[in-house]
Formats: sequence, structure tokens, C-alpha cells
Amino acid sequence: MKTEMPLSKPIRRFLNTTEELLDTEISLLRQPDAESGGTLVDIYTYDIERNVIIFPAQYIGLLKDFIIAKHCTNLMIKGAAAKRGEYKVCSYTEDSVYRGLRQIYLDALKDEVNKKDKLPVQKLIRMLFILFSHFNEDLNELPWNAIVNASVYHRMPKIRKTQLYHVMKESKNDMDEMMDQESIIPRRYFVLNKAMFYARDMFLSKTLPADELMPVLNIPQMKKFNHLEVKEMLTTRWTHTAWYQSKVFGDNMLEIIEKPLNQVNWSAEPTLDYYYDLYKVGINLSNHLLGYMTMRDWYVWEEPKHLLAAHGNKGNYEKKALKKIFGDLIADSWGDPV
Amino acid sequence: MTVKEAVELLRKGFSYAKMTKYKEALAYYNKALSLDPNNPEAWYLRASLMIDTGRSKEALLDCEKALALDQNYAPAWSKKGLAYYNLEQFEEGLYASTRAASLNGNDVNAWYIKGVCLDELGRSDEAQEAYGKSLELEIILDIESEKKKVGR
Repeated sequence: MKTEMPLSKPIRRFLNTTEELLDTEISLLRQPDAESGGTLVDIYTYDIERNVIIFPAQYIGLLKDFIIAKHCTNLMIKGAAAKRGEYKVCSYTEDSVYRGLRQIYLDALKDEVNKKDKLPVQKLIRMLFILFSHFNEDLNELPWNAIVNASVYHRMPKIRKTQLYHVMKESKNDMDEMMDQESIIPRRYFVLNKAMFYARDMFLSKTLPADELMPVLNIPQMKKFNHLEVKEMLTTRWTHTAWYQSKVFGDNMLEIIEKPLNQVNWSAEPTLDYYYDLYKVGINLSNHLLGYMTMRDWYVWEEPKHLLAAHGNKGNYEKKALKKIFGDLIADSWGDPV
Repeated sequence: MTVKEAVELLRKGFSYAKMTKYKEALAYYNKALSLDPNNPEAWYLRASLMIDTGRSKEALLDCEKALALDQNYAPAWSKKGLAYYNLEQFEEGLYASTRAASLNGNDVNAWYIKGVCLDELGRSDEAQEAYGKSLELEIILDIESEKKKVGR
């Protein structure tokens, strides 16, 4: 690692250890339009020579350090699995896209029956793959986000305040996701999406520990569910709202997240084996989430290049799946640029 | 006239530096300095470029030049702190960054460098205080930047 950027002591050490253990090189890159959570471009995913951690130009001090710590931990997990030839991500195939899109469509139909304003067919059709991709992205991100944040919290006490700020910001952005589409997407998927983030935030609020992170405190739509008695919950109209349902599903998902993560010894010696074990915990956790959301046959665990190829073929996969579901309603020119 | 020309050259140099075109930027800065060597900002800008290109010793010399012209030029103290930090001269880095932070309390870099220098010197509690101040300012910058993005 060669950089002229000042780095706090624990971060510099962590960067050096990561490079040493993985026998790789990490570059740091400051970019004005970088994602607020930073980006890791790594050799285990892309065909490149060195890993790059990119972060926003306005991150000068500890915010930059936190982003580095977060992505370095992620890199360690990926690298430890890759060194054993086992690094896999949640990908998709032509067949799995069909299964996913078909299920979303069936759920959408159930919703449409009760809707006053029906969704135009073309809009509904377009929504299917967008939603499918959304869950694919979230499943490749969310379980690791919980693991990485827990690890950074335990290993880098000096940047805890920074971490809290960052996690709160991230949580707000994640909860804002899909808000504009609430009336469009099937209720089940809106609820599952919110529930996943609710569970992640609840887990982090306990781990960090930070009450400010609890969704029932920081998400306006959920505030009313704080300190409610079960009887009260069951006898009010709240039980019918998507947000209440998100809380119920989210509480179940929290159990799924907590069970394996509470068994991790976060202060164990950070060897390659240790990070490999974290990788296995993450895969296990992701599988449980997939199972809970009945999405197991939507996705496949494959090498990162499989996912990159799938992204390259996504238009084709989508079109074929839609043709299978809707037949002639999908023209051969469907999806072609206008 | 030469002063005005020099300012224009600095502006051009700075825009090249922002695009990481350091060679071009350096040429403009050098030209500006030959026209007007009495502008502390010119020395400071060249010091920044030196740091960005891994030449901390040269950066230190440029900071000295800037400070010889204006002892209270806060950005030069801040950059000097960074140069010392890169050269692993933490006591000197701490002195320069403390001076920078006292001249400009809103300099995130100065507080952060002060924190890392204190940390390196084993003064953890004081380091936490400096980090705390640096984080506070960084969060303000971040919120402003997010607002700009939304407004775009």
C-alpha cells in the first residue's frame, strides 16, 4: 500500500495486515462522486491486478478511515474464501430468473385484485425484473454489511463514533429505498425489503450498541410500534399496514441474523482461517434469509465471474422469462432500445 | 500586472492539480512563483502538489517559504503538519497541526493530523479529543456535500 494520505494508526496497521495475509496490494482512491459508503473493487471479483478502495473526496479524516476499515474487512472475508477456492456470490441463471419473475408476477396478481388503481400491464411487467435484481443486490450486500460492521466495531474502538454516524446515514438511505414505489410493487416484497433492513439495523443497534439505530425510533413510520403491547397491536388497524408487517417479519429475520452472529468470537486472532469462518457464517446467514423469503430457487451460489456474466446477459434472461410467462404479449423487440 | 498574471497562473495550475495532472500544474505554479514569489498561497499550493506526489521534504520547504511571508497563514501550517506526519516526525507534525487548528478551528485536516500525531506519540486520550473535533467538522462537510448532491 503506497499512499500519501494520512491514516490513523489502527487503520494503517489493518491495511498492512490485510495486504500481508492476502499477499495482495490495496490502493486508496479519493473521488468527488464516489458512493457515500465507498466502493471496493477487488481482485477476487474483477480481472484486475490490485484492489482499490474508493471513497468520496470530502472524507478526509475518520470517515475515510471507517470506509477503509469496512472494505478491508470485506476484502479479508472475500480473500480468505478465494484462497481456498470457495469464494461465491449470489448469482442467477436463465432458469432461476424465470422462477423468480413468475413468483413475483403471481404475488403481484394477488395484490392487483384488491387495488383500486390497477397497475398498467407494461409497467407491471417491467417491475418484475427490477425487483428481482433488487433482491439479488441486497442479498449480496446486507448480510455482509452486518458482519463487517460488527467486526469493525469490535476491532476498531477508536472509530466507533464515526461508525455510528455512518451506519445511521446508511440506514436512512436503505430505509428510503423503494418508498416511491410502495404503491406499485407487491406488498410482500415491500415488506420483505423493509424487514431485511429493519433486522440489520436492530442487530447493529444491539451490537454497536446504539438506541439511535433502532428502526422503531429512527424510522418515522415505525415510531408508533415502539412500546406497544401485543394485545394493542393485534386489535388495531396497524396490523394491516406494510410497516407493521415489516416489523413482524423483521423481528423474525433478526433472529436469523442474531443466531449465527452471536456465536462469533469477534476478538479472536484475525487470521485467514478466522475470516474464512466469517465467510461461512455469512453464506449460512444468507441461505437462511433466502429460505425465509422463499427465494432459494431464485438464485444460485456461483463464482463472481458468473454474476458478472449474468449481469451481461440480464436483458436476455429477462426477455426469455417474460416470454415464458406472458407468451405473445412480449414482442420479439421487447427490451430493445427505442 | 505580474501579480494579476501570477494569480491567473495559479488558478490554472490548481485546476490541473484537481484533475491530478501534476506535471502541468507544477509548470503553472513554477511560472507563477517566478512572477510573484511573495504570495504565500503560491508556495502553499506548490507544497500541496508536492505532498500529493509523494515529495514531503520539498513540501516542507515550500511551507517554510509561505510561513516566512505570513506567519499566520493557517493552510501552510496545516500542510506542514501533514508533511511532517508523512516524514514520521510526529512531534513537529503535532506542533504544526496544533498551530493550524488554533489559527483556523474549522480545519478538519489540521485536527485529524493532530489526532494521528498524538496517537503515534502514545497520547491516546488527547488524540481522541482531536479526532472528536475532526469528526464533528467532517460530518458538517459531509452533510453539506449531501445537500449539494440532492440539489443537483
